[in-house]
Amino acid sequence: MKMLRMLYRGEHHFDFPLMWRKALLGSGALVLLSVGALLFAGLNLGIEFEGGTSWEVNAPGQSVAEARDALSGTGAAAGKIQTVGSSVIRVRADLDDPASVNEVTTVLGNFAGVEGGDVSVTTVGPSWGDQITGKARNALIWFFFIIAFYIAIRLEWKMAVGALVAVAHDIVISVGVYAIFQFEVTPATVIAFLTIMGYSLYDTIVVYDKVREVAGRLSVTGRYTYTEMMNQSLNQVLMRSINTSITSVLPVLSMLVIGSFFLGALTLQEFAIALLIGIVVGTYSSIFVASSLVAFMKEREAEHAAVAKKVVTRAGGDVGTRVVAKQDAALGGITARPKRATADRPSAAGVPPRPRKKKKK
Amino acid sequence: MRRQATYVVLIVLLSVGGIIYTLAAGNEPFLGLDLQGGASVVLEPAEPEDGTEINEETLDQAVEIIRNRVDGLGVREPEVTRHGATILVQIPGVEDEARAIDLVGQTAELRFRPVLADGMLGVPFSEAALASCPNASELLTAEPTPDAAAAECMIGTDKRNEAVTYLLGPAPELLQQDGDGVDRLNGESLETAAALFQVPEWIVSITFRAGSPGIDDFNNLASMCASGSVGCPPTGIDRSSGRGVGRLAIEIDGVVESAPNVAVANFSRDSIVISGGSMQEDEAKDLALVLRFGALPLELIPQESRIVSSTLGEDALDSGIIAAIIGLALVSIYLVAYYRLLGVIAILSLAISGSLLWTIIAWLGETQGLALTLAGVTGLIVSIGVSVDSNVVYFEHLKEDVRNDRSLRSAVERAFPIAYSTIVKANVASLIAAAVLYFLTVGQVKGFALFLGLATVLDLVATYFFMGPAIRLLAARDGVEEKPSRFGIPNPTEVSS
Repeated sequence: MKMLRMLYRGEHHFDFPLMWRKALLGSGALVLLSVGALLFAGLNLGIEFEGGTSWEVNAPGQSVAEARDALSGTGAAAGKIQTVGSSVIRVRADLDDPASVNEVTTVLGNFAGVEGGDVSVTTVGPSWGDQITGKARNALIWFFFIIAFYIAIRLEWKMAVGALVAVAHDIVISVGVYAIFQFEVTPATVIAFLTIMGYSLYDTIVVYDKVREVAGRLSVTGRYTYTEMMNQSLNQVLMRSINTSITSVLPVLSMLVIGSFFLGALTLQEFAIALLIGIVVGTYSSIFVASSLVAFMKEREAEHAAVAKKVVTRAGGDVGTRVVAKQDAALGGITARPKRATADRPSAAGVPPRPRKKKKK
Repeated sequence: MRRQATYVVLIVLLSVGGIIYTLAAGNEPFLGLDLQGGASVVLEPAEPEDGTEINEETLDQAVEIIRNRVDGLGVREPEVTRHGATILVQIPGVEDEARAIDLVGQTAELRFRPVLADGMLGVPFSEAALASCPNASELLTAEPTPDAAAAECMIGTDKRNEAVTYLLGPAPELLQQDGDGVDRLNGESLETAAALFQVPEWIVSITFRAGSPGIDDFNNLASMCASGSVGCPPTGIDRSSGRGVGRLAIEIDGVVESAPNVAVANFSRDSIVISGGSMQEDEAKDLALVLRFGALPLELIPQESRIVSSTLGEDALDSGIIAAIIGLALVSIYLVAYYRLLGVIAILSLAISGSLLWTIIAWLGETQGLALTLAGVTGLIVSIGVSVDSNVVYFEHLKEDVRNDRSLRSAVERAFPIAYSTIVKANVASLIAAAVLYFLTVGQVKGFALFLGLATVLDLVATYFFMGPAIRLLAARDGVEEKPSRFGIPNPTEVSS
């Protein structure tokens, strides 16, 4: 509770740089694990990518074994049969000629006791998936180039590097989770991965913009290293990150929970799982991966390196990340008032004029 | 301050007006197949074997023919669209989806029927000619029938001369599967067909599939026609022998492509040739094409076909809506609990962008046929989080400034431009992502990108014209400074603890 109160009041001062090393080690391990899983286990690709047919039918009270019995004489006998949600049977088989597909549809309809039209059938030709995948890959490459360009212009190129590494980190881990648990990858999953990319980027840009704002004010004092300013910014955006994650996760969670009560909501559920992973990883990476990379690169710039040298000499060694002094944190262009007057103040017009900070649009 | 008030009033009027317009015009979002049930097929042309390029004209022609076939199903709002060389057919809420999909891209609409009599457009056939037709009474009008079951007679028009008609008989009983009207002798029985030049004329050579459906069925019919029996009366004269023989019409969608004499009772499957009638080169090639692909001018391969049962579709829609409502409710509770009055503004801001979004989606659905798919719905649910974030970025900035001993009023003024600049930077990144996805991908991902992009733009609008001004107005009210807790900001007296 005390922690929550501190967070709410903004009195927290976490030493993020101290956690970076451990976090990066953890991230590295997760990325390795993901890549390993991708290489050795591979992804469980849906028919949209591999070709074949999938059927879905609502068959309450029927088991997979019973469905397999019913399908034993058909082309789908060797197919994959599973239950999804509460009562939907899903069958997947490597069939794409209309006659055998129709046969299975009829058998499944009879099995579930519904009309043929109540069985959902998706058939995908073998080359179609390649096309879709190819297009998605193209889109991804373009996306990386354009976004890198955009961030380099609006912020700076070192941040573009940091943001893209963070995004790649999130995607690899999210895809890795799918490889490890062998969740089926469907077009909905691909959409979810793309969304994760968006979330992660959004989060990272918000963090970077804050750092730029804080560093813009504080670096002129020459008292703080870039890492310290980064830490200050992270502490400032922490509540924003937490709140945004919570408000983003709530609708996704409701998709996940609601999805399990409804029959036709498989896509929704599949989507929600990927998103949930992505939002959590995305928030984490903006605070731990994207920021540490930029801090690492910036500390090598002459200006910041000089400050760091000075600060270390004065402090006489590693004492963790120093906290930015309150009067400095408030540096917003006006002199900090000693105590806020709570008595009746005239109006906003009473605020002393301040020089506008030069802001690059 | 006046400008802020104007903004707020204008945007509220705009969104309320949008809702009223949408309701008054009866606009509703056009639901995609995955939400209302139905069938969809993605068709792609196969590479032509002779290495020719597929031209635009051929594709448009194919789209037109498919559209005609789908229209013939009598379903509401079928969509046949072409994206590059890909043809997308969407048939919402159709009764027999499997048949619809078969019909669309396949060659099954080609049939072989015996010619019972020749006729002229508008001149009824004689009763004698109609005698063997189970549906004789329907054909008395002499109107051409575009489609008929295999067990019934039909009146077809000649491909080259519309005034010439044929009375086409039913396929003999043994060719009808279990009398259910599905005949075995159709385009599926053909393996391939080719146009060849054989001095002195162009001919079309046909290869049937082995067995049945295939050459066996064709020979059943051929032996009837060669002997001129009742099912296939001698309406033609064999050129070499001079005797009367029956004719077999190649019929597609009510049009007789060709009605050659059949003089031989037993063909081997690759020895059948349609000749005579002084066919020109293009006629022969067209006929070969038609035989190969049905009426379509090129071979279309179904790449993805999808049938969504309407119960599962509606379920998906319901759960999407419920998930969105519950999600919104939870987000609202959280926002108000944490940010108090600011949270209320955030919810109103969400409502504004939501109602504008609804207006646009409904309008696009009504006028452009833009379908709201499940992927689109998820895009929208996701955008709730992103929209709320715009508010959170600003609110946290506000709190930060107040903590740094700024008055609420001055913080409100100062924080907005800074926060908005952050929001724009982040949202533009989202927009870039949406645009790249929209232009470079297909299908579901495209729909998702469009709705995400729309929601992002509207978020910027609602933030700039509603959320920012509304909070400035709120902060300008008397007595606000004394109770920062109403803004979810800790009371200053407690800060020192």
